[in-house]
Amino acid sequence: MEKDTRPMLEIKDLVVEYRTEEETVQAVNDINLTIRKGKSLGLVGETGAGKTTTALTILNLLPETTGRIVDGTIALDGDPIITKDSSGKSVAAKTDVEMQKIRGNKVAMIFQDPMTALNPIFTVGDQIAEAVQLHQKCTPKEAEKRAEEMLELVGIPGSRKTDYPHQFSGGMKQRVVIAMALACNPALLIADEPTTALDVTVQAQVLEMIKELKEKFGTSVLMITHDLGIIAEMCDEVSVMYAGSIVEHGTLEDIFDRTRHPYTRGLFNSLPNIKDRTARLKPIRGLMPDPSNLPKGCAFADRCDYATDRCREGKPTKRMLSDTHFVDCCLYEDGKDEDRL
Amino acid sequence: MSENVKKDILLDVQHLKKYFSTPRGMLHAVDDVSFQIERGKTLGIVGESGCGKSTIGRSILRLLEPTSGKVIFDGQDITALNKNEMRALRQKMQIIFQDPFSSLDPRMTVSQTIEEPLKLHGIIKDKKQREQRVLQLMETVGLAERLYDTYPHELDGGRRQRIGIARALAMKPKFIVCDEPVSALDVSIQAQILNLMEDIQAKEGLTYIFITHDLSVVNHFADDIAVMYMGRMVEKAPSEKLFENPIHPYTQALLSAIPVPDIHHQMKRIVLKGEVTSPIEPKPICRFAARCPYACDQCMHSEPEFKEVEPDHWVACHVKG
Repeated sequence: MEKDTRPMLEIKDLVVEYRTEEETVQAVNDINLTIRKGKSLGLVGETGAGKTTTALTILNLLPETTGRIVDGTIALDGDPIITKDSSGKSVAAKTDVEMQKIRGNKVAMIFQDPMTALNPIFTVGDQIAEAVQLHQKCTPKEAEKRAEEMLELVGIPGSRKTDYPHQFSGGMKQRVVIAMALACNPALLIADEPTTALDVTVQAQVLEMIKELKEKFGTSVLMITHDLGIIAEMCDEVSVMYAGSIVEHGTLEDIFDRTRHPYTRGLFNSLPNIKDRTARLKPIRGLMPDPSNLPKGCAFADRCDYATDRCREGKPTKRMLSDTHFVDCCLYEDGKDEDRL
Repeated sequence: MSENVKKDILLDVQHLKKYFSTPRGMLHAVDDVSFQIERGKTLGIVGESGCGKSTIGRSILRLLEPTSGKVIFDGQDITALNKNEMRALRQKMQIIFQDPFSSLDPRMTVSQTIEEPLKLHGIIKDKKQREQRVLQLMETVGLAERLYDTYPHELDGGRRQRIGIARALAMKPKFIVCDEPVSALDVSIQAQILNLMEDIQAKEGLTYIFITHDLSVVNHFADDIAVMYMGRMVEKAPSEKLFENPIHPYTQALLSAIPVPDIHHQMKRIVLKGEVTSPIEPKPICRFAARCPYACDQCMHSEPEFKEVEPDHWVACHVKG
């Protein structure tokens, strides 16, 4: 059988804002992102880069009062989630009820903090079974059995299904959350900093587990993280996000070995080098711009050592440097793939 | 320890214990830990949540009263000091906390926060001079003068952590306990703060204890690293040695678990079973034995001693030690 390489998730020209009476926060500014079936994409960036907003948009979970999808389309397995109406405006293609059927079934999300993702007054078995019953035609007995299987799958004895969340440690709770997310065999798993709240040895366990499950079920993964080490280990492709834009995208080799964007390089230079412990860190100077008041030129220009007047005057032109490697930086406007840093 | 070189020891911690009473029994948060730090050096203390690393830091400053043991700071046993003497000494021993969002008083401006210790300890009586000193400290830690009258909520995490550092430096300390000082910060900001702390150390000749769960940060920052597990120190060595030749099985697993941001990095990961439990009324056996891939009979019957297996390399393990 030929491998299915159609896109599982396709985001085009997405623009998302948060509007309040005082200000408009430009959280996501014209991003494009594709995950093919069975592949995993890492979305890396610092606090406020727009990573989580992107994830919430896919699930149509933006805060109702402030969140606005200004432009763009999203398709899930070829099925539109956000589409354009006849006047070209971006609108939800699904009703709330339809979305509910997709969330937790076709797409599941793991949140950073397992302590708040579980309901403290229900047993973990009941919580997993609830997800199963919502999406699959089955009796309560069957759902309970499925919950037990899922717990076993993530390395928790099935007999602990009658325990409450507080009876589990942090790592175990995150496993329960993962068990719940995977209970309906989602085609796409969105993991938003799934191990940030965990200790390193437990993080290693959870990462191994996600890897195994991905292999076993061919799940596509959107891995949101700030940790380039996790990306190196878990992902096939990487998108680097800064101030709501994807500034560089490529395969692991493109991003790690042929780093082109000054921000991506800056991220690498900020990390302590495990092989050369005395090397001085080279931080990126300054701070991320205020997302409610983005500069008219390149958003990174103020922190960039290579910035020229060109960068401050207008947005860079997006360029493909190879079939896989994309960069959004004025240094590469001639489209030549050479190291200019 | 090599006897022929006389080391200039600033801090000598001997058999430090800190127990907490819980409904289920005594929790041995720090259980008989001894170590020394040379003047001007940095000791990194690493371990996972609940291993007792923060409790060590706080017990050394007597922010928590040690259950037993001695803390000898600059030749003086500070566990024997009374409250007033200790308060005076704290000028020389400061702490920087992890969370720059909760460790600052939201009702005080940047300048008031930095000025407060100078006022409290009556170090600089003259208001004008005090202002000068605050401005000087702000410059040292890289806070712009225009932030003098701003409040913490107006600032980002990196700047708030700079306030915490300025406040600690205000007393011209000799020694600072840095408790996860960069864990709440983004990597680009984290690097700024680490560089700042390095520069200040070089300039002022400071001695640090650097408490963290982040092994790549501690490797970069510390001269020596101590690894804690369930209240016990299980390994201690110069940073290079510890990373090149970790001896304790827990240290080996911990180091192998770091995700390395290099796609050509090849390392066999040791995935441990289970998780850390609380050291409540621990049995006199090796506390790591239940998760240890090498555990033997002896490990289940007696607790290993913390021994120097090579010069400056200390390990507590029956099998590998």
